[in-house]
Amino acid sequence: MPVSVLLVEDDKVIRRSVALALERYGYGVTTAEDGLTGLELFREGRYDLLLLDVMLPGLDGIGLCRRIRETSTDPVLMMSARGDALDVVSGLEAGADDYVVKPVDTSVLVARIRSLLRRTTFRPDPAPDPPPDTAPDGPAPLVFGDLSIDTGGLEVFRAGRPVALAPTELRLLLEFAAHPGIVLERQTLLRNVWDYGWDGDSRVVDLCVQRLRKKIGAERIETVRGFGYKLRR
Amino acid sequence: MRGLVRETANWRSLRWRIALLVAVSCCAIALTVGLLVHRSTYERSMNDGAARAYSALEGALDSGDEDGVLAYGAGEMPPELARRLRSADEAHLYDESRAYRPRMWAGRRLDGGRLVAIPVDMVPDQLSRRALDRHMVKYSLLALAVIVPLAALAAELPNRRLRRVARTAGRITAGDLGARTGAGGRAGDEITDIAATVDSMADSLQGRLVSEQRFTADVAHELRTPLMGLVTSAGLLPEGEATDLVRDRVGVLRGLVEDLLEVSRLDADAERADLRRVPLGEVVADAVARLGFPVELTVEGAPLVETDPRRLDRIVVNLVTNAHRHGAVPDGTRAGEAPRVSVAVRDGVVSVRDRGPGFPAVLLAEGPQRFRTGAAERGRGHGLGLTIATGQARVIGAELTLANAPEGGAVATLRLPGGGPGAPADRG
Repeated sequence: MPVSVLLVEDDKVIRRSVALALERYGYGVTTAEDGLTGLELFREGRYDLLLLDVMLPGLDGIGLCRRIRETSTDPVLMMSARGDALDVVSGLEAGADDYVVKPVDTSVLVARIRSLLRRTTFRPDPAPDPPPDTAPDGPAPLVFGDLSIDTGGLEVFRAGRPVALAPTELRLLLEFAAHPGIVLERQTLLRNVWDYGWDGDSRVVDLCVQRLRKKIGAERIETVRGFGYKLRR
Repeated sequence: MRGLVRETANWRSLRWRIALLVAVSCCAIALTVGLLVHRSTYERSMNDGAARAYSALEGALDSGDEDGVLAYGAGEMPPELARRLRSADEAHLYDESRAYRPRMWAGRRLDGGRLVAIPVDMVPDQLSRRALDRHMVKYSLLALAVIVPLAALAAELPNRRLRRVARTAGRITAGDLGARTGAGGRAGDEITDIAATVDSMADSLQGRLVSEQRFTADVAHELRTPLMGLVTSAGLLPEGEATDLVRDRVGVLRGLVEDLLEVSRLDADAERADLRRVPLGEVVADAVARLGFPVELTVEGAPLVETDPRRLDRIVVNLVTNAHRHGAVPDGTRAGEAPRVSVAVRDGVVSVRDRGPGFPAVLLAEGPQRFRTGAAERGRGHGLGLTIATGQARVIGAELTLANAPEGGAVATLRLPGGGPGAPADRG
């Protein structure tokens, strides 16, 4: 069963050519030409990844992403033709996991898609220094204040209630949890969570941290000005 | 604090001009009023003195000059009084001939033509007039001593508002287009007018910039959408010579569009650096590794710099590509074998060097200009690369110098801020 991608793009040539290119890489691609059709398709089917253009007739990509995030934590990759602050920041604020700027090479697009899919299927290594009282049937949950992370089942609870995290948010939280109390530079996070080299955009990190803070409590992740972020124990 | 002192010491400041004006007008008023008072007191004192002198004369004549105070004949009175009495029956004269003892004379020509006169002491009058003058001078000076500092203080208020307008205008000039004087709501004087004008000027500048940016964004969207279709479709074509030709041109078109958009973003001054601490050597190595042609790279030490790696990458790629395009192959080797460009990284300095004819003189003199390649032998390329490198260097606060090495070849030196001691730019 191939990985299924929902591509929402209004430009016919891009829609067809990206679909054909992704199919060559073995993905199953469903396409929609506007936001509302995209939303309908999303509600009817199940997709492993959503590839959304920002500028769409009717419901735009940012609005569509926000609607999708209301009910789902599926990975979302935005495609922007502008790449300016407004497009990128609003897309990431709406809950997108990453963005690419058009025109994008198929190889780059596929690399971004693979990185994003790796986050969905991510299983952390066994905890670096497991507590001595680890139960034999799985690692004990990591606890930070009212936050508890079940690294085995990949579930996060805040004050006992489950928190729904998008794959990138979860991956970011696990990265923090692996280094509690240690400052992680944006560059490190871009490399470890998003698989970026030097070409990553640190706004991706900043906005994902913002979204994560909204879900797990703002005080949990501390900003260290000029360096990065750290998880408060 | 030092600024305040300098401002206070600036004698050409509006504050001191206003204070001087106030002082001059106060002095003029005091002088006029003083003169008028002085004159009228003098006249009254003369009239009083004359009346006293006449009544004394009357008294002395009535009593038959029993006290012997009367002066008889022209010889005993001031000559001027005698002269006056020849033309009039009665006359008086203020006599100041004796210092500190002024006297008022009243005289009469008696029926027989005999002149008689009497002096009255005017010392108390003179003393009281002098006291009055002294008082007027003293209190005028006192009033000035109070009014001039008050005027300077009062002038401080409009001064301060003017300075704020000047500061705001300075900030707008420096690029902070969001700066406003915010002095619109106050009383409608000239300062409010100029403040409002500065604000509206900034508004219109900002509006123009915003529409410029919107235009760039729209152009970006309109160009990139078909370009993306072209890029992806070209990628789907079956391999072959024709496909390679198409892909090559699509690549050129794409590079040109991206460069143009980058130049216009840099021109709009809307770019902000995304600073991170990065190992300079690694970023440069990654950048040159992606270029697809051999580059001789030497990295000394492991310099860490705080910069925007994406912009640094753009600068290095543009400099190296430019050097590769214009650089010659080293002697004794064939094209495509040996690297034409050498890149050296030391401390916070990246220098890119080729063995070509060097930068043309016009480029060294005027800096890179878009679409100007400078000389016929540099005809390839569109001249945007160095413009972009210069613009991006400005965004990350680095200094980019272009020069020709004495032994030939172009040398571009990029000095990153805070990169430790600078290394000599044109090493071999």
